[in-house]
Amino acid sequence: MLELTEVEYRYLGARTPALRGISLRLAPGEVVGLVGASESGKSTLCLVAAGLAPRFIGGTVRGTVMLDGQALGTLPPGEIAGRIGIVFQDPSSSLTGIMSTVFEEVAFGPMNLGLAREEVLARTDEALTALRIEGLAARDPDHLSGGRRQLVVLAGILALRPDYLLLDEPTSELDPAGARLVADAIARLAAAGGAILIAEHKTDLLARLCTRVIALRAGQPALDGAADDVWHNPSLTDLGVDPPTRIRLAILARAAGVDPRRLEAVG
Amino acid sequence: MTTDSGTTTGSAWLRWLIGGLVFIAATIIGALTVDQVSDGTFDPNTGAVMTAANSFALILAIAMLLGSATAFSIEWFQTGRLASISGQFTRRVIVLMPVAIAINIVLGQTVAAALKIPIYLDSIGTILVGVLAGPIAGAATGILANILWAYVIPPPFQYPPAAAFAIVAGVIGIMAGIAGRIGIFRPRPNRSTGQLVIGGLITAGLIIGLGWLASVGYELIFATDITFAPTGGDPLFQVLAWLALVLVLAAVVGVFALLFIRRDLSAAYVAVAGVTTGIVAALISAPIAAGVFGGVTGAGTDFLVAAFRQAGLDIYAATTGQGLISDPIDKTTTFVIVYLILIALAVRFKARFPQGERLLPADEDVGEEPS
Amino acid sequence: MVLATVTALQATLLGGLLGPLVLTGVLVIIPAVVAGVLPRLLRTAALVAAPLAISALLVNFFFTPNGATVLFQIGPITATAEGLRVAVEAAVRIAAITGALTLFYLTVPLGSLVVDLERRGVSPNATFVISSAVRTVPAILVRSAEVTDAQRARGLDTEGSLRRRLRGLLPVIAPVLLGSIAEVEERSLALEARAVARRGTRTLLWWPADSGLERFSRWLMVLSVPLIIVARITGWLG
Repeated sequence: MLELTEVEYRYLGARTPALRGISLRLAPGEVVGLVGASESGKSTLCLVAAGLAPRFIGGTVRGTVMLDGQALGTLPPGEIAGRIGIVFQDPSSSLTGIMSTVFEEVAFGPMNLGLAREEVLARTDEALTALRIEGLAARDPDHLSGGRRQLVVLAGILALRPDYLLLDEPTSELDPAGARLVADAIARLAAAGGAILIAEHKTDLLARLCTRVIALRAGQPALDGAADDVWHNPSLTDLGVDPPTRIRLAILARAAGVDPRRLEAVG
Repeated sequence: MTTDSGTTTGSAWLRWLIGGLVFIAATIIGALTVDQVSDGTFDPNTGAVMTAANSFALILAIAMLLGSATAFSIEWFQTGRLASISGQFTRRVIVLMPVAIAINIVLGQTVAAALKIPIYLDSIGTILVGVLAGPIAGAATGILANILWAYVIPPPFQYPPAAAFAIVAGVIGIMAGIAGRIGIFRPRPNRSTGQLVIGGLITAGLIIGLGWLASVGYELIFATDITFAPTGGDPLFQVLAWLALVLVLAAVVGVFALLFIRRDLSAAYVAVAGVTTGIVAALISAPIAAGVFGGVTGAGTDFLVAAFRQAGLDIYAATTGQGLISDPIDKTTTFVIVYLILIALAVRFKARFPQGERLLPADEDVGEEPS
Repeated sequence: MVLATVTALQATLLGGLLGPLVLTGVLVIIPAVVAGVLPRLLRTAALVAAPLAISALLVNFFFTPNGATVLFQIGPITATAEGLRVAVEAAVRIAAITGALTLFYLTVPLGSLVVDLERRGVSPNATFVISSAVRTVPAILVRSAEVTDAQRARGLDTEGSLRRRLRGLLPVIAPVLLGSIAEVEERSLALEARAVARRGTRTLLWWPADSGLERFSRWLMVLSVPLIIVARITGWLG
């Protein structure tokens, strides 16, 4: 269980907190969506939940962040990475930049964990297979398309076998084809039963995956609940979030006096 | 978030005192040794007397390294670790260093290969890291950049002479680190006109001085009327001189724009630091250029060496003369460029580096953070 | 076989700086033939060394004062036998250094070098800087090309007169420099997420073989360096 309780986070030197009153539980097998306008604190929340803030980027945090009953701040540096995985927006700056093959790139994390050589190889193979990119193993990661590169980054994180996976707008920097590639991969991971937190503004992707959705406004939770309730909440658009296409159509249809169920049959 | 070790205790003073003593001792020993070696011996290659004066700066640099090494080993004995060194190598610095090295190599190689001007522009990255992270990190960047430049970078960007000048790059990094640490790169906006005029005068004086030195170099060239400028008015030379002038002018304009539009006094501080670093770099690199490469590096500065030699100077004096013209111009330009880069970077980005807080305006609040 | 020269060459370089040039030539050419890279070696080395060597020849040949034996004169320029000797020496020295470095580059893949360094106890941080720097150089070039194209598409002149080209330079350099530097923060975070901060030993997946002969020759060369220095100082090799 990854559990944030009444978390308030303030960047170094900032006058107002970037996050306030955040409570969130991510249990095994759960897929939670995080929506909100840009600058609403989605990325910051991911950094705090991954233990990178405040440890690595400074600032101050109040409230508690607990990982399976231990306070995140008390764990030694480098240990959290093996238990909480985080993937950022831009795949090119998320690659190590030192590996000349996809295989070595993915193996980088397990190598850092100091695992036995066979274990590193096994985990790398497993991660590549899980994302169906075994065929890229010998390629240079710098010479791949954005979508494939993001899959390599994701595989590099999966090879660490984290219990919790935090995805910070993993498809926002990708072209439509790349975004679809990554979204399908995430859907398979979700179906396999991982605990995933996804920050996204593409709600269509979230609608496919999430059981629960949290909407942020100016660093504070504005909506929090079962996915369908949040999607249908009329104030969602006021937060700068477009509901998933399916639901938008349904709302429009209802407004136009058409039975939304007829639309479902079409779309 | 200063990771600057925070060990400003009495023991820290002690180890730097001892380090300083070692530095002085090493300098004296070095000077004596060279004096003995060169005593009356003529260098068979050049027919010149290898004077101690020419090598003195090189000795100083080595003594400086020895002194720091002593201070750091004392720290290690005292505390069991090297916080003052490891504090300069945070993850961000480790990630910045390769970028800095690549910038050095790409710009340095472009200038060396494509432009025949008496500057190098191969230390922007070194100075950037030195200023952001500290002297040791700056030195490591400079040394590594030059070694990689010579050894492992693929041929279009391979430049064998670089490795020999690694120690010079290291010293440049140290100087930049010290400049950053004592707050020279801290913006000082909105200063009084009086201060700005003084700063402007000092800067103008330096620029005129440098220009005068450079013109001496050019005069030597044209007066001697040598192979590649047979008529004395070779259009190529005029173009090159003009090009060099424009680049240096850009930095000059930058300095005065900072001084009088942003009313930022630091521009003058930065220019002075650049000149100082340049002079030191020149004194150290001259013996290397003379001894290892017969005075040439295949770059645009070679014609200056040629000019000095033709004027009857021995090879050590010629390389020193070349360096004293090129290096201050180069380093001042580079320091100003780095200062402009630093201004352009986000405050929170800078603040997370070991010396980042020393690069922020003293009284300005750090702005709001986007998520 | 490719790796036969890995570290041995580092010693060669030191020796090459110090003088016995023929020796260095032998140490460069023979391993190159063995490794089968001689043609490439000569081509690359010539490319790198030519401007340097020509410059060295000219400067020293024509501008060495105190030359007694005058060979010929062109205007104010006097060519002397002493100047020629200095010039040739400098050129040979440059050729030796370039040759050794090029051989090193041609025979040692970066990956092997870095893994070997790490296996010998060099900090992973240091090897990171080395491999990342080498991969960043082409990345910066690619980025410059992209920015240049983008600026050109927006009507910026990067060709034509010198003044125009100079004015075109700034909008190209600035985004490349600042973009590369700004990426540092993101990459640092991404690396933290890959457990780089963990203390303790890293697993290496492979490392290059190192035979007894290689070890022996390496030591031999390292030892030869102080010997050469001593020989130089005592006036043995002139």
